[in-house]
Amino acid sequence: MEDFIKQYGFLIIQMTFAAMLGLSMYLPLMAGQLSLASAGFYAIGGYIAAVMSTTVFAVPRGAPFPIEHLLMEMLVAGVVSAILAVIVGVPSLRLRGIYLALATIALVEIVRVVSLNLEITGGAIGIFGIPQPFNDKFSYGYIAFPMLLISAFFAYRLERSRIGRAFVSIREDELAAAAMGVNPTYYKVLSFVMGAVLAGMVGAVSAHFLNTWNSRQGTFDASVLYLAFVIIGGSRTFVGPIMGGLLLTALPEVLRALANTPDLFAAPVAKFLSDGRWIVYGVLIVIGTIFFPQGLITPSLFKWRPLKRWGLGRAKPALKEETA
Amino acid sequence: MDFNVLIQNVFNGLAVGGVYAIFALGYTLVFSILGIINFAHGAVFTLGAYFTYAFLGARFGFNGLLANQQLPFGVPFPLATLFGGLAAGVISVLIERVAFRPLRNRGADPLLTLVSSLGVAVAIVNVIQYLVGAEAYSYPSLTISLGIPPSVMLGGERPIVIRTVQIIIFSVSMVVLVLLTYFINYTKVGKALQAVAEDQITSRLLGINTDRLIVVTFFVSGFVGGIAGTLVGLSVSITGPYFGIAFGLKGLAVIVLGGLGSVPGAVLGGLVIGLGEALVPAQYVGYKDAIAFAVLFIVLLVRPRGILGRTLVQKV
Amino acid sequence: MNKSILSRIFVVLSLLFVLVLGVAAEDAKPTPADPNLPPVKIGVAVAQTSNVALFGQEQVIGAQIAEAYFNERGGINGRPVQLVFQDTAGDEAGAINAFQTLIADDVVGILGPTLSQQAFSADPIAEQAGVPVIAPSNTAKGIPQIGEFISRVSAPVAIVAPNSVKAALKIDPTIQRVAVFYAQNDAFSTSESGTFQETVKELGLEMLEPVQTFQTTDTDFSAQITNALAGNPQLVIISGLAVDGGNLVRQLREFGYTGLIVGGNGLNTANIFPVCQALCDGVLVAQAYSYSADTEINNAFREVYVEQQGKNPPQFSAQAFAGIQVFVESLIQLDDEQGLDNLDLATLRAELNKIILSGRKFDTPLGTISFTEEGEIVQESFYVAQIQMNEDGTTGSFVFLEEDAKEE
Repeated sequence: MEDFIKQYGFLIIQMTFAAMLGLSMYLPLMAGQLSLASAGFYAIGGYIAAVMSTTVFAVPRGAPFPIEHLLMEMLVAGVVSAILAVIVGVPSLRLRGIYLALATIALVEIVRVVSLNLEITGGAIGIFGIPQPFNDKFSYGYIAFPMLLISAFFAYRLERSRIGRAFVSIREDELAAAAMGVNPTYYKVLSFVMGAVLAGMVGAVSAHFLNTWNSRQGTFDASVLYLAFVIIGGSRTFVGPIMGGLLLTALPEVLRALANTPDLFAAPVAKFLSDGRWIVYGVLIVIGTIFFPQGLITPSLFKWRPLKRWGLGRAKPALKEETA
Repeated sequence: MDFNVLIQNVFNGLAVGGVYAIFALGYTLVFSILGIINFAHGAVFTLGAYFTYAFLGARFGFNGLLANQQLPFGVPFPLATLFGGLAAGVISVLIERVAFRPLRNRGADPLLTLVSSLGVAVAIVNVIQYLVGAEAYSYPSLTISLGIPPSVMLGGERPIVIRTVQIIIFSVSMVVLVLLTYFINYTKVGKALQAVAEDQITSRLLGINTDRLIVVTFFVSGFVGGIAGTLVGLSVSITGPYFGIAFGLKGLAVIVLGGLGSVPGAVLGGLVIGLGEALVPAQYVGYKDAIAFAVLFIVLLVRPRGILGRTLVQKV
Repeated sequence: MNKSILSRIFVVLSLLFVLVLGVAAEDAKPTPADPNLPPVKIGVAVAQTSNVALFGQEQVIGAQIAEAYFNERGGINGRPVQLVFQDTAGDEAGAINAFQTLIADDVVGILGPTLSQQAFSADPIAEQAGVPVIAPSNTAKGIPQIGEFISRVSAPVAIVAPNSVKAALKIDPTIQRVAVFYAQNDAFSTSESGTFQETVKELGLEMLEPVQTFQTTDTDFSAQITNALAGNPQLVIISGLAVDGGNLVRQLREFGYTGLIVGGNGLNTANIFPVCQALCDGVLVAQAYSYSADTEINNAFREVYVEQQGKNPPQFSAQAFAGIQVFVESLIQLDDEQGLDNLDLATLRAELNKIILSGRKFDTPLGTISFTEEGEIVQESFYVAQIQMNEDGTTGSFVFLEEDAKEE
């Protein structure tokens, strides 16, 4: 067990962060908003922590970084993300579907390019030597696990609250929701801000967790990956993106481990699993979408109606209606 | 900026815009008919370039499964380009069959198709690397194969320079634009495609074989994408398995800016972004990519459906 | 990793082959390592996938050649060297995961990762576990300072760059106006360009402002070229990587620039030939490795590489070879001094690191190198070469111009 934690402690925390990033993508999607901005807020949160911990909060080399400073950075990252999300969200959330997605990708790309050009973000090299609050990577669990539990509980309560129902009503039919007195703009921006805050805070911890931060973190590719977390995991309950994040992050390492396990596979197969593991990853994503069109986790899994489980739920071709 | 430089920049912008446009044409076609963003388009574009390389009878490098392999025959470049396009078209049809059709038959959420196409893209890129390695490949230059000078100079003292290969790309994208527009608007198949785009179920009821038409769409999209890959490869060489993927983000911006699903819009979007990037002042050239996206953001705020996008009456 | 029957048969067959050769070629051949002895495992964590795979691929080849080369020559006093490869892909988390896997696999040391950014992320992991790391290609400032266990065979650029500019001035003393381009999203190119810009100023040349930046993923450079050519430069200096650098050279020429071009160390690879083809001709390149260096070990390395790959070895492969060589020769010394079998893994790793950093010299394809106590490479030979393309326009060679005097 100890050896397992030693080898996979990092991966477990990485999976936890991925689950939260999936969740941060899911929150706007709950209100029907396809936003890919999470990666941008993640990047910004990381830069905030990286800059603060190497300047105002700097500790001598090798000295432990006080956890209260880490929490403070997370708070700052959350607040900055929230403010930015309101500024970006109010004008852009009148866009729909893929147009909104593109506007949010624009944000992600602008963050990347600006951080490459600014002095404070360290250009291409980025910021390194970020001080460590913990002695080993698995101890980041002291932050990551409660964070995931709290955000999952928050999402659970949200789904059952008036706000959550307002989100869903906008997702299902914005006009009808507005007619019934739900203020769509308010709730859309709210969902967007929630996702941004979560992503920003995860970014802040991640900067410490990865020891370094640079413009390669939180790019367009990352955004699309987070979206895959939600879609593969399931976009109708908060458990979906969490599962999606956990599974898709673990998958490449599971394939690596399989390839390395002696005598499990014939040598050519093992070699393929190791050299071609991204091929397998891609194929599994395709298979996942085809055989689990509702995602792996659907709300009906939690209700005792086994017949509804497989593909009989209603699918909503959201984009199609708008652009046909 | 003096006048000569300004004119040069405009030409640069049109040339880059031509590249964006030619990438986006096949991309937007699938969207216009099916309403899905096909992330695998970049991978098909890449494959087209590699297929052409293979049809030239050229040898693959020293890494990957196909190290040192080559076809027993080689054909001249224009023919190889055509074959490369056809092969890319076939792959595109296969992708539709494997990754999209099962989802369409269930009436699944378009987001699902997007993620599925992402999976296809990841798989294809890595298959390419597995087979032929990560190194760059290139076709014999135009100068050597056809005796065409690498660039055209206009004017005397400080000439305006245009790279020949960019002129080819720009012209081909214009030709493709005209052909596609004609195909969609004036042929029977094209009109049937429009009907499918409007409403798949109704058109099926009207006796249109939608599945076959969608196969046609994917074939044409892949064919155009494959040719585009070859031409861009001619301009900048095949830079590795991520060759086309690198255009994916800009390509998406281009088709959204022009108006999703609008074929002329894709070309217009490409040219607008190309010109925007070329006209960035010299000292801010580091912000070039950001400025393209900032322009996109602002245009979207003013025209939420892109420049040539159709506004729709909202359904209740 | 486990050997299948097939690969065992292969090993036996190749051993037989070597034996037969050995008999035929008299007694000159050294005894190869004994495959029945327990191997010494060295980890290699480089980017075998993702969009930096081009470099990782070259590093894998270099490391593999080193593995075969040293095993043929007796391995570590008879014990074979076994390389364990783990793909880092192109990201930071991937590098950490690969490092963790290797450390758990009980390797004595790790060669990797490919990118400096990945090193800042993964090296602290190895540092904490007390596993020596040799960076094959990390050139950013601050890499050896990550920790006691971190060293590198990739020279930072401060020494190489100025000489290539001086070489250009030697060819064309009338040079006054210089345009500088660099890839702003690449750590190496960014710091290298800093050195180039200082050199230009120190030599009293006029640097055209603003400096033009691009991204390694860019393929069109017309905007930057138009900006730079407006100042009518007589020398262009490029810090970039193979594909982007090659395209930039090609487009500069196609836009009618006829002056000299100096390419940074990133252009020191035959991978640029297919990109700029005939237009690569005449580019001056700063080299931390020259395949034409006439030393015994480099000749041996180049011979195997050319036979396998059909072209001359690039710097990334040579650096990976040198990294493995440093491990192997230090292990031999450690075995001679203390006996590897007498040491537990943790001590072995620590002692190995001590030997690497002891300042002893290694005769590698990069020339004679040693390390400072901090782990920074002390490299004695740097080169400036000029690219000469063949008639066919797709193959060419780096023609060696001058060897730099010893580093101050």
